[in-house]
Amino acid sequence: MGVTCVCQLPLAEGKSVQQTIDILHKKLEQLGAVKQGSFTVDCETYHATGNASGQPTKLLYVMHNSETPLSCLALFEGGPCLTADGNFDVLMIKLKSHFQNAKGHKVESRGSRYRYCDFLIKVGAVTMSSSARGISVEVEYCPCVVPGDCWNLMKEFMQSFLGPSIPELPSVFSSKPEGLYAPVDCVDTMTQYLELFGRVRKQQVLPGTTR
Amino acid sequence: MSGGGPAVRVSIESTCEKQVQEVSLDGMETYVPPLSMSQNLAKLAQRIDFGQGSESDEEGIEAEPKDPQDWGKTEAEEDEATVKFQPSLWPWDSVRNNLRSSLTEMCVLYDVLSVVKEKKYMALDPVSQDPSAGKTPQVFQLISKKKSLATAAQLLLKGAEKLSKSVAENQENRRQRDFNSELLRLRSQWKLRKVGDKILGDLSYRSAGSLFPHPGTFEVIKNTDIDLDKKLPEDYCPLNVQIPSDLEGSAYIKVSIQKQAPDIGDLGTVNLFRRQLKAKAGTQPWHVKLEAAQNVLLCKEIFAQLSREAVQIKSQIPHIVVKNQIISQPFPGLQLSISLCHSTGEKKNHRASPEKPKPDDHLYVLEHNLHQLMREFHKQTLSSIVMPHPASAPFGHKRQRMAGPMAYDKAEISSMQQNEGLLEKIIKQAKHIFLRSRTARTIDSLASRIEDPQIQAHWSNINDVYESSVKVLITSQGYEQICKSIQLQLNIGVEQIRVVHRDGRVISLSHQEQELQDFLLSQMSQHQIHAVQQLAKVMGWHVLSFSNHVGLGSVESIGNASAITVASSNGEYAISVRNGPESGCKVLVQFPRSQSKELPKSDVIQDAKWNHLRGPYKEVHWSRMEGRNFVYKMELLMASLTPCL
Repeated sequence: MGVTCVCQLPLAEGKSVQQTIDILHKKLEQLGAVKQGSFTVDCETYHATGNASGQPTKLLYVMHNSETPLSCLALFEGGPCLTADGNFDVLMIKLKSHFQNAKGHKVESRGSRYRYCDFLIKVGAVTMSSSARGISVEVEYCPCVVPGDCWNLMKEFMQSFLGPSIPELPSVFSSKPEGLYAPVDCVDTMTQYLELFGRVRKQQVLPGTTR
Repeated sequence: MSGGGPAVRVSIESTCEKQVQEVSLDGMETYVPPLSMSQNLAKLAQRIDFGQGSESDEEGIEAEPKDPQDWGKTEAEEDEATVKFQPSLWPWDSVRNNLRSSLTEMCVLYDVLSVVKEKKYMALDPVSQDPSAGKTPQVFQLISKKKSLATAAQLLLKGAEKLSKSVAENQENRRQRDFNSELLRLRSQWKLRKVGDKILGDLSYRSAGSLFPHPGTFEVIKNTDIDLDKKLPEDYCPLNVQIPSDLEGSAYIKVSIQKQAPDIGDLGTVNLFRRQLKAKAGTQPWHVKLEAAQNVLLCKEIFAQLSREAVQIKSQIPHIVVKNQIISQPFPGLQLSISLCHSTGEKKNHRASPEKPKPDDHLYVLEHNLHQLMREFHKQTLSSIVMPHPASAPFGHKRQRMAGPMAYDKAEISSMQQNEGLLEKIIKQAKHIFLRSRTARTIDSLASRIEDPQIQAHWSNINDVYESSVKVLITSQGYEQICKSIQLQLNIGVEQIRVVHRDGRVISLSHQEQELQDFLLSQMSQHQIHAVQQLAKVMGWHVLSFSNHVGLGSVESIGNASAITVASSNGEYAISVRNGPESGCKVLVQFPRSQSKELPKSDVIQDAKWNHLRGPYKEVHWSRMEGRNFVYKMELLMASLTPCL
């Protein structure tokens, strides 16, 4: 588990999601990365029922990551987070009366996984109810767990294949009480994914990409 | 009683038989305790007048002094009267009479005995019988004797018959009981169950966690083919077990490493050399039989698992499964063969294989390890059924249950799971054993061949199945404290040897034995030079130059040559040594200019002081030097070049 940075790639001029992804794959292969299978990150939304009226309903997000295949992550936006076993999904079904699944809000990102020496690059198409909404790029630097030490290196690496659209330092790292030098967790990765999915959800459906 | 007047209460109270001793102030009466039997008797006995006997004329003297005035005549009358009524007057009379009569009898007996013995005054004489009196006819006597004997014999026969019947019954009972007690003993060690009227048992490892499909059932039968009249044989057992036909005999798994067979077609069935299993005295034959059958079953399971893995697992050099052998190549030129040797033992193997099996061919350690690994595998399958905590967690290893909450990624998860099968494990172990023995052989051959720097190997007692270690020291005899700079720690793994030098270098050697040999030879040559360096310190000589790997001189094929130059303490002499693994050692001594004769006079050097400098070199005939090893010779050389003060 290393330092990860999740960002959204804007579509290339006049190209669809799949075409942009293909361009990126080609760039990575030219760089010398090796394809190592596929990955999936998905997020389900649950409404907490039984709340006093007037208060906004709290949304519980349950996320899965193929990097940690036996775990489930449950988090509230900006709130506490829980890392649990795979049986957590079954538990949510049992808690149907308290948490209702918002079925239309499931977002997932699927794609292939590339490995370049110590870097892991995952490029995926973000889909919501089987309509592609955007592209997510996750770059992980495996040897290091402290973002402050390796952020510059990661930025330089991302520049080499992402071009001008490199993100700045993710807010999860800077918003920690210990600052940039606290070790990262899988929670930070999933928080970044959650933010990205939230942005994608708010975005309008991309013209010409509905299926 | 007719009704009428009021009833009168009548109280009846027994008379107080006890005398009142005292009445206390509060009205309590204290009775005199009544006399006990013995006290009463004593009181009565006191009243007995022993002086007054039944024959009162004998003891008249001790008669109680009576008042003659009171009892004058009446005494005589009373005496007479008492003579008649003596027996009823006191209770001891009968006792006394009996004693008296027995005394009489004893006296008579004593007299008779003294007469018989002494024959002084009287002698015993038999009374002559009247021959005509009581003569009965002989026939009558015979018949009467016969009859009496016949009745006696009949009685005896009846008794004997009863006895023999009871003995036979006892034996029969014992045999019955023996079967039951044997069955009980069998039951205490093996699993039995009753199916219909048959008793079946289970000798497989299924309950211990095995997944082998063989049922492994045996049947218990009563041994009834015994003749009651004949004597029971020594090893008679009322119980017999019938094991499945494919588990008969004995089996073992033979693991051996040989040089590679030249042709695959040469592979035949491995010699089924039967190892005799000596049963312990006191064990039942059924126990021996069942244990042997269980061993055969386990060996079959191991071999089935190994052959399954040999076929399924893809490796660089494929494993060959032929008849009852699995052959694989751990190292080039070597062949590891694992074979299941099962002999039924009923018929002698006349067609024995031509070569006798070499006794050291069989790696018993690996056979034992195979059994252990199989049992561990059984335990694993069994322990996975153990309930996890908390009860909602999935089955599996404890650490695997933490994978979810701790968010383990794929690398961590795969490292937790064991992927190796039985065959891979045993091949790795065989490789390690072979590498270790080859390393030991190399070191030992070098140690026996080369005497000058001595090579010592200290093997560590604590080993792993995949790793062993040995510490190799290269020393010179007599100078162990001074020259100890070459110390190597060899870690022998599965496929390579890792050498850690004392100076911190880590070198990996492959399984080739030539590499290790070359390395040790080069270290030995370096040791000599190091020894000179240490010796110089001790002798007070200065080290002018030292190089582990000189670039000058002839190229060595093994390693590099090393060289050192030392100068004496007053600077007059210098010794240069060059030692290589192949080229041997070359020693040159530099003399001061004043001592060398062949130096030409030169115009440049005119001052006399330059004569004190060192001049040309001269080579030393090292083989002709005195001394038993290199360092000793060097010490002598240094000592000879140091002037005495």
